[in-house]
Amino acid sequence: MERILFYILALIIVIFAIAAVSSRKMLRSVIYLLFVLCSIAGLYFLIDYNFLAAIQLTVYAGGIIVLIIFSVLLVHHIELELELAKPLKQIITALACLVGIGVILTTIYSYDFKVIENDTAITTADVGSKLLSYDQGGFILPFEVISVVLLAAMIGAIIIAKGKQVEKHENKRIE
Amino acid sequence: MGSEAIIVFFLAGVVLVAGSNFLSNLISHKSDNAQKREPYESGMKTIGPTWVQFKVGYYLFAILFLIFDVEVAFLVPWAVVFQDFGGVAFIEIIIFLFILGLGLLYAWKKGALKWE
Repeated sequence: MERILFYILALIIVIFAIAAVSSRKMLRSVIYLLFVLCSIAGLYFLIDYNFLAAIQLTVYAGGIIVLIIFSVLLVHHIELELELAKPLKQIITALACLVGIGVILTTIYSYDFKVIENDTAITTADVGSKLLSYDQGGFILPFEVISVVLLAAMIGAIIIAKGKQVEKHENKRIE
Repeated sequence: MGSEAIIVFFLAGVVLVAGSNFLSNLISHKSDNAQKREPYESGMKTIGPTWVQFKVGYYLFAILFLIFDVEVAFLVPWAVVFQDFGGVAFIEIIIFLFILGLGLLYAWKKGALKWE
């Protein structure tokens, strides 16, 4: 039964991934990408990674997609469709894609996968106790460093988006 | 139960949506003309392109939202084990929130939260 669920999700992922790269309208590509990310969250639920699935839904499907939609809407001529590439380019791209698929498939089929039965699901409580413990094997220092990384990202975003206004302020001060 | 229920739910959803679309397509009266495909603008003829470029302010708010979104993602596992750890966890999360609060303070100070 879970196998059927996996194939449904995999089918949705493959179909919408192809739709996302082949759609010639930007906003539609983004929405197809949203479906792909939601289906990946479904895969995580399927293997009992509930916390990771929740993160996938809130951060990727909820946050990153909103960011991409806004950056698409910032583009000047959004109503224009993507131009079709020249035939020579299309052939070269198709060849490159086929070579890529070939490399990946030969790697997958030549590798000897070992199936390990794993019944212990990682719960949110496990993640939390690992994050907060300061004993051996705890992640309290990375946990606190994450906030510094987020702070740096926030300051960087503000400086990039507000760059001109900040410069004006400083010029006024110099004058 | 479990995965069977999800598959039944999925199929029911597909059948309901596709079925109602198909039925309404089958039964409904169809009329098509050029005016019908125009974007609606209070009954007037649309002037100029209907796509407008968004202000960069939206992007800034989206980035700030994303950062606090990630913060919430780290607050959830903390909240789950908070009672087991007690006071230490409280101090740890206060440090975490304080450092992020500095970012919010910076955004406030630089006027990033102001709508222009």
